[in-house]
Amino acid sequence: MSVIERLKTMATKSPWIYRINAGSCNGCDVEMATCALIPRYDVERLGCQYCGSPRHADIVLISGPLTRRVLDATLRVFDEIPDPKVTVAVGVCPISGGIFRESYAVLAPIDQYFPVDVNVPGCPPRPQAIIEGIAQAVQIWRERL
Amino acid sequence: MSSQIAILIAVLLFPGGLFALALGLGLKGADRRIAARLQGRVGPPLVQPFLDLVKLAFKRTMVPTTAHDLVFLGAPLIGVVSMLVAAALVPISGVYSPAPALGNLLVLIYLLLVPAVVLMLAGSSSSSPYGAIGFSREMALMMAYEAPLVLIVAAVAVRTGMAQGHWVTFSLTEIVEYQRTHGLFLLDPVMWPAVAAFGFFYPANLGIVPFDIPEAETEVLEGPLLEYSGPALGLFKIMSALKAVVVIGLDIALFMPLPLDGVPAFLGWVVEMVVLMVAGVTVLRISMGRMRIDQAFVFFLRWPLLLAAASLAVVVV
Repeated sequence: MSVIERLKTMATKSPWIYRINAGSCNGCDVEMATCALIPRYDVERLGCQYCGSPRHADIVLISGPLTRRVLDATLRVFDEIPDPKVTVAVGVCPISGGIFRESYAVLAPIDQYFPVDVNVPGCPPRPQAIIEGIAQAVQIWRERL
Repeated sequence: MSSQIAILIAVLLFPGGLFALALGLGLKGADRRIAARLQGRVGPPLVQPFLDLVKLAFKRTMVPTTAHDLVFLGAPLIGVVSMLVAAALVPISGVYSPAPALGNLLVLIYLLLVPAVVLMLAGSSSSSPYGAIGFSREMALMMAYEAPLVLIVAAVAVRTGMAQGHWVTFSLTEIVEYQRTHGLFLLDPVMWPAVAAFGFFYPANLGIVPFDIPEAETEVLEGPLLEYSGPALGLFKIMSALKAVVVIGLDIALFMPLPLDGVPAFLGWVVEMVVLMVAGVTVLRISMGRMRIDQAFVFFLRWPLLLAAASLAVVVV
């Protein structure tokens, strides 16, 4: 394994996470906060860190069915995240719209607008499932580095 | 010529440069791991700050279209260089003393100001409103904590200078030598207020809770660092790692240089570093909330300033 490959493997041990709430009901956001912040599901041991700025992020977690009002803002924030990046859609809303699927104001599925790499279904998904999703995202991220 | 090479080695290899960077990243890693343990978490590995740097090297640096490119990308470089020189200015008792040509305590104080100025430049050149808020907060905080620092340094300099027969000495080597022969200032009741004041100064200078007001993640989204990404952000991480070594090294040189020589002196110095980092930074940051900028400003101009002034007054009189 060359030095560059080895360094890339080291780099994947530092995935920084950014959350985008695309009109979510906050249920998935609470689960995401639970993942990192309580001792039981400490994701900092994987090197993860929530960052406040999209410019610092590597893995972006999108929750919510993507309402019409937030579309432009969400796309702008998404473009602010430097490459290489991986997108994880958290919850069932990004896949199908979930309980909001009948609404005229909802644009789900969101993979029409964002290159979603990992889907974590659930309403809301369990913290273990979100951590599993992040772990899969790290695998994909390794290939893109 | 050989003295110039010695200075170059001091700046780039030991005790500045690579050694200071490794030690600073280690201190940051220990800080994060011990903080996690105190909160009942497992925490990241000890080398996590190093892994973060490797990761940032693989990312792309984005420059906002409205930013001033030269200042935006030049600011982190200035910060790293100033801290490299500053790290070479801090003596390690019994192991290393800086060459007189490199500078003295006054130069070191000016260099300690540079990271704050660099953060202000970074915040204002990024054209982000959060950066602008970070800029104004950084400036206010810097003005608040610089005043106690100057008085602390004056107290130590006058104390050493008067004991040696002249008024004041700004040579850190002389200050360390004096304490090696006459006992540590840490054990001198006259200097206790100054030691306490320095204890308030270094968390503020390192920008950690409760004094991380300019870079508050939850309020102003890391303020001046908001628009930075990739290697440029990595340079800021390097700067803050070096700054931890410089500021804590200055604390050790001013108040508690161990009267040892060779390898034991070096190991003792590293142990002092870790103890000061854990006691002064880790425990403080996980047990406190963030102050508001006006509270921090008034706090620094009240307690640390008063304590440092008390030491200086007793020393002079």
